[in-house]
Amino acid sequence: MNATFNNRDPVYLQVVRYFKEQIANGNLMVGQEIPSRRELAATMKINPNTAQKAYKEMEEQGLITTERNFPSKITRNENILQSVREELISAAVDSFVQSIRPINVPIDELLRIVQEKYSQESSKEGL
Amino acid sequence: MKSYIKLVNFEINRFIKIYVSLLVITLLSQFIGVIVTSSSFMNRAHEVMFEQNLSESGYLHKFGGIDFTDISSTLWFIGPIALCIVALIFYSFMIWYRDWFGKNTFAYRLLMLPTARISLYFSKASAILLFTFGLLAFQILILPLENTLFESLILENFLKTRMDVSVILQSNGILGIVIPPYFSDFLISYGIGMMFVFVLFTSILFERSFRLKGIVLGILYFIAAVLLFLSPLFAMANETVPDLYPEEIFALFLVLGILITGASIAIGNWLISKRVLV
Amino acid sequence: MIEVNQLTKKFGRKKVLDGVTFTANKGEITCLIGINGVGKTTTLKAIMGLTPINKGSILIDGQKINKSMYEKVTFIPDAITMLPQMTIKQAMQFMRDFYKNWNQERATELLTFFKLDEKTRISELSKGNTAKINLLMGLAIDVDYILMDEPFSGIDIFSREQIAEVFTSHLIEDRGVIITTHEINDIEHLIDKVILLDNGIVLKEFNTEQMRQEEGKSVIDVMREVYQG
Repeated sequence: MNATFNNRDPVYLQVVRYFKEQIANGNLMVGQEIPSRRELAATMKINPNTAQKAYKEMEEQGLITTERNFPSKITRNENILQSVREELISAAVDSFVQSIRPINVPIDELLRIVQEKYSQESSKEGL
Repeated sequence: MKSYIKLVNFEINRFIKIYVSLLVITLLSQFIGVIVTSSSFMNRAHEVMFEQNLSESGYLHKFGGIDFTDISSTLWFIGPIALCIVALIFYSFMIWYRDWFGKNTFAYRLLMLPTARISLYFSKASAILLFTFGLLAFQILILPLENTLFESLILENFLKTRMDVSVILQSNGILGIVIPPYFSDFLISYGIGMMFVFVLFTSILFERSFRLKGIVLGILYFIAAVLLFLSPLFAMANETVPDLYPEEIFALFLVLGILITGASIAIGNWLISKRVLV
Repeated sequence: MIEVNQLTKKFGRKKVLDGVTFTANKGEITCLIGINGVGKTTTLKAIMGLTPINKGSILIDGQKINKSMYEKVTFIPDAITMLPQMTIKQAMQFMRDFYKNWNQERATELLTFFKLDEKTRISELSKGNTAKINLLMGLAIDVDYILMDEPFSGIDIFSREQIAEVFTSHLIEDRGVIITTHEINDIEHLIDKVILLDNGIVLKEFNTEQMRQEEGKSVIDVMREVYQG
């Protein structure tokens, strides 16, 4: 579990986002146990209160479930997990579209460049 | 109460090495003094008897014998007593300042102990008093041994008088003050001693609380306490004041002593609880 | 909660604290930041009753500081409070003798965590290790509040990391912490609340997450605004 945080966005939201990414890319699976708040705070070097707040937020969004005296787990609700993935993708695409639109690139050219770049990046990361 | 005892124990342990060294120095110096003084006396006596062709009684008639006062007035004997007194007076200051000075400010820890801060004050005072009485007890303990050693080193005829401990104490001015032969004198000198420990501690706390200004306050407090305590003497020197009976003078000193001690403790308590700085 | 209300402290004629008011909650890490000056340390000392104050009031869970409060709140100054000739073991024994709520188990745990040997004398410790032992003496008392004066200053990076780790661990769990610092970099993500002091007054008091959420500003952004703007 390794995340770097910026200082200007609320750390708890950055933690939530980190978890969403891990869900979307399959590192965290349905029903998987996640670290305790304390462990999370220690590994991510954040304030335990922040970890607490992040977990609360994730519980409210239905990403994780906590039963009394048991470790929290990633939800088994496939719909929610699916929507996390969609949400991340759509948010990323939205911001991409927003920044590319002013340049006015024809869609075919754009898709071709995206495809090239994407496969380059993937091979660089060894995926 | 429990933490007070722990603190006293702690304070004693902090000084024990130097303290034991003082005892050892006293022991060695006084015993060496007994041996050196007696044997040099005997040697000289024999030399003189040989040179002047004197008999024992002739020598004794001309030069006289020796007794323990000749030992107890030597530097060998008085020196370590003086050293112990100076060391304890010096340590009465150090027992406070060592907690404040240096990189390791132990004063923080002491002042943050979950116990009334006056316990610190009393524990330090108790340590000083115990050290003092310990030295006394030690001196009283070794004195008869020294006397026995002395008597065994001197040929019977050369002994002016055999002395027991109480006679030795009465015959020597300094020793008589350090260990008063009468219990009432003992109470008086150590009562006064104890009072001055408290006055001194409170003066030190003035300095620790108000720093530069505190030095002035501390010195003024000390002088005021001394003057107040000695005021009957000044009064008696004044001829317009009627003479008092010894009992009345004693009572007057007693009352003043209790008053000054009480005031010192009360002010000390206020300073260490409310004003002291680290 | 520690409530500091209108705290005023003069050294001679100079006011080092002039009506300082803030609160620090249990379960939160509150950071007193000042670019310069002695106000921060003096504030902590005043809370602990280690320096008399000229005006104002300080309440810890509604009570004034008294001897029994020293088992509820502890202060870790920037110099070690134990005697140099003591071994770590002796220092711990001293604490155990005087504090009912000394937690030897936690002390041992911290010792292991810091990789220190209890037979070492205080005088033989490096600067970083001295800071760790200092921290240990405070953290191993089961207190509700811990005040730390510049826990990160003047020590090596690895000691700093280890000490920062303590903040995110169960050792701090649910306690209220006030730390002073003039440097925020190491701990920006660790703290809940910031109080910016300058020339003896509180310039700004804010919650770090709230500040990020509502204004999108980091602690350093706010410091820049307050101290330079």
